[in-house]
Amino acid sequence: MSMTLLAIWITALLTTILLTLWIDWKTRLLGLFVLFGSLTYLAAKAEHYRRQLTSLHRLQNAYDQLDRQAKLIIRTDIELHRTQEELDRRLSSLLSLHQLGRQLRVSLRPEEIFSKLDAATVTNFGFSKSLLGLCPSLNDLEWCTCLGVTPETSANIRTYLIEKHLLKNILTNPAPTFLDISSTTHPLQRQLLELLGVPTAVIAGVVPHAGPLGCLLLGRTHRGLIQPRADEELVAILTNQLAIAVENSALYEETWLSQRKLEHKVQERTHELAAANTALVRLNKAKSDFVSAVSHELRTPLAAIKGYASLLNSGQYGALAKPQQERLAKIEKHADLLTKLINNLLDIARIESGRITMQRQWIPVEEFLTTIHEVIQPQLEAKHLHYDTDIDGITQILGDSQQLQRVFVNLLSNAIKYTPERGHIRMRWQRDLEQKCLRAAITDTGCGIPPEDLPKLFQEFYRANDPVNQQIRGTGLGLVLAKRIIEAHNGQIGVESHPGKGSTFLVTLPME
Amino acid sequence: MAISETITTAIGWSAQSDATRAGKEAAGLALKHLPLRRLPIVAIVFGSSWLDPRALLEGIHTVLGNVPVVGQSTAGEIRPEGPTTHSCVVLLVASEALGCSIGVGERIDQNPREAGQQAAYAAMRALHKTPRIGCLMFMDGLVPGSADVVRGIQEVVGTSSLIVGGMAADDLRFLKTYQYANRQVLSHAVVGLLLGGAGKLGVGIEHGFAPISKPRHVTRAKANVLMELDDQPAALVYEEYFGVDTVNRMREETFSRQHIAYPLGIQCEAANQWLLRNVVSFKPDGSLACSGEIIEGSWLQLMIGSRDLALEAACKAAQQAIQSLDEIACVIVFDSVARRKLLGETHAASEVAQIRQIIGTATPLVGCYTYGEQGPFGVTSIYGRSVVQTGSVLVVALGM
Repeated sequence: MSMTLLAIWITALLTTILLTLWIDWKTRLLGLFVLFGSLTYLAAKAEHYRRQLTSLHRLQNAYDQLDRQAKLIIRTDIELHRTQEELDRRLSSLLSLHQLGRQLRVSLRPEEIFSKLDAATVTNFGFSKSLLGLCPSLNDLEWCTCLGVTPETSANIRTYLIEKHLLKNILTNPAPTFLDISSTTHPLQRQLLELLGVPTAVIAGVVPHAGPLGCLLLGRTHRGLIQPRADEELVAILTNQLAIAVENSALYEETWLSQRKLEHKVQERTHELAAANTALVRLNKAKSDFVSAVSHELRTPLAAIKGYASLLNSGQYGALAKPQQERLAKIEKHADLLTKLINNLLDIARIESGRITMQRQWIPVEEFLTTIHEVIQPQLEAKHLHYDTDIDGITQILGDSQQLQRVFVNLLSNAIKYTPERGHIRMRWQRDLEQKCLRAAITDTGCGIPPEDLPKLFQEFYRANDPVNQQIRGTGLGLVLAKRIIEAHNGQIGVESHPGKGSTFLVTLPME
Repeated sequence: MAISETITTAIGWSAQSDATRAGKEAAGLALKHLPLRRLPIVAIVFGSSWLDPRALLEGIHTVLGNVPVVGQSTAGEIRPEGPTTHSCVVLLVASEALGCSIGVGERIDQNPREAGQQAAYAAMRALHKTPRIGCLMFMDGLVPGSADVVRGIQEVVGTSSLIVGGMAADDLRFLKTYQYANRQVLSHAVVGLLLGGAGKLGVGIEHGFAPISKPRHVTRAKANVLMELDDQPAALVYEEYFGVDTVNRMREETFSRQHIAYPLGIQCEAANQWLLRNVVSFKPDGSLACSGEIIEGSWLQLMIGSRDLALEAACKAAQQAIQSLDEIACVIVFDSVARRKLLGETHAASEVAQIRQIIGTATPLVGCYTYGEQGPFGVTSIYGRSVVQTGSVLVVALGM
């Protein structure tokens, strides 16, 4: 542009000179023409230059405007970054807390729990130095983990905390405290930060329900985003987690020790019971052997007594006076009773010692019940009792026919014995397919059994204290023998009774 | 000859919190994956700064014996499965066609250029007869003057040699970083691994940030300190964009998302090329301390990053790294911790997955998150050499 202007000015100058020097009108006309042309060109160029200047100005404005927009974008973006950074930190802190929580759950000792606070967790919490220790007392501290600090620094901080009684304060007021070197007015806190070599830190106590346990100090080497509340909250959660983990470990240890003790006791008792059981089995066998031997020894002379009494009573050795006959009849009766008692005792002893095995076979029910009925028929008739059976379609039962007959005859005889005249006795059989067994229930309308007597009913020689028993003699072995026989069949026997209404004896026999 | 016959690599990883056990486990796993009768010529180790470096190296040497070891502490480790933290990654390289030597330069905080030269001389002496492939460097990321260290190395190995690497980190604690050289644990040092022989190194470096502000002229700067922009204190210009409140907050923060989301971009001669610098701290006189050297007279723009751009950059870097190689033996990634913060955990994992897709999922890949990257940047005469970059992903592929 400047070159063009220079050329125009030179042309204009030359034209002026020509106009001045030459007087020729043609030359003057040419000069005026050149001058006019130059001025026109100059005017056009000036206009173009003005337009360019305007455009440049506009461009400059637009450029500055863009720069101003850039500033706005940056400031908005900065806020977003700040929020994002805080969110990232919170998120990583929470994730670390979660992971730490999982690790703490499987830790059993406080030392092990405290060692789980590793460098990765501390970094994720946004801190760069960490000291965590156990406090055996309010004036003692042993660091468990020291991260980002030298052994010398950790030792100095330990001494400082104890000597300046800061440890006691922390353990009695365990809530996290945010320390900032730029705002703290507390000289002790300032010195602590200087010892740790950080501008900000959080200190807190770990205090489970059982009492003060430890101390945590987390420091940040750079100021970063200072969020005292957020840091305190985070550390509060962390110390709570540590405290809970320690409590849980203590509970777990307590439970484990109790369990161990209990197991030990159970083992001891089991040994004792096993020994007692062995002794009892031995004693029982000895008793059975004794009873068996004695019964055998008793039976022979008893048979002789009964035989001779019978012979004497028959008059073979001469006629006897009536009182003599009566006494001999009593001898015979008591000898019978004694024989029955001895036989029962012998059978019980044999079953207990395993010398009698049950000859289990399928027994036709009809036949079985008919035989029993034949045995008890005279007693039923004597008391005018109504007796009926319900076999529910059962055709056969599995067992030792002879032994089972003894059981049912015994149970029915008892029912007859305790049922007043014209009473009812019923024997009902049922099939339990689920349990694969047969159930027999013998129900009478007798006097019933007092509840306090029920548990003792199947004990040897036990006889309920009722008016019937006072009149009717018995050995107190019938039900015991019945129970032994049923149990030898892998069955069960029990009783239900309502005094004044009657009793039901229940027998369960397996079908397989 | 297939690459597997010439260069064999194997990776081991451990997340044990005990450093010795972590070292043993990682080295043991790497050795287990190496074919029998292939002896490793070097072990490259990236270990979390949370692991005691001496114990870590002790554990590694227990397993590897006298195998040369180089590496550094990190702000996160990268293994084929994705990014990780608080762990240790070991890459074993076994080859009869390759040679390597290790050089150490110390006190880079006092004389960075001399330290760079020292490291390069030491490495060159041991590998003087073998043709050089390139130099991997591991340098303290908390000490200024990294550009001088690179210059020092370049002065010795020559500008035509490839110099790549990452700056050691300490998990954003900004306390102390470590560099590993055999059994030595160093700080304020540079460790160089010079590779020579029949292999090739492919390199790709990208950042994926775009300019958002108008260009500003750097009217006063010294080393890594930016003093004035357009004849105004640099902090004032910064305040124009961020607002006074935010800048005041940023003054108190170190390496927050705000710092790394808007790095400063130095315009390169080539169009659409920017060297990134993060603002590390605000000085009372209104100047800004940056993560790398600021050249006075250059033009500077505020840059903006996004997850999409960052992922795109990773893919580009991976493609650049492998384009000159016929076969790839392994890939080492030096990724800026700034990018990891920008991407977040999910997208950082996605970045590694995308790099693997490009290099091939069967190719062994290790790496670490760094406080800075060194690599050849751009194509112009000034920036063609290795420069210190921040906010970038550097993909180094070893192959044929």
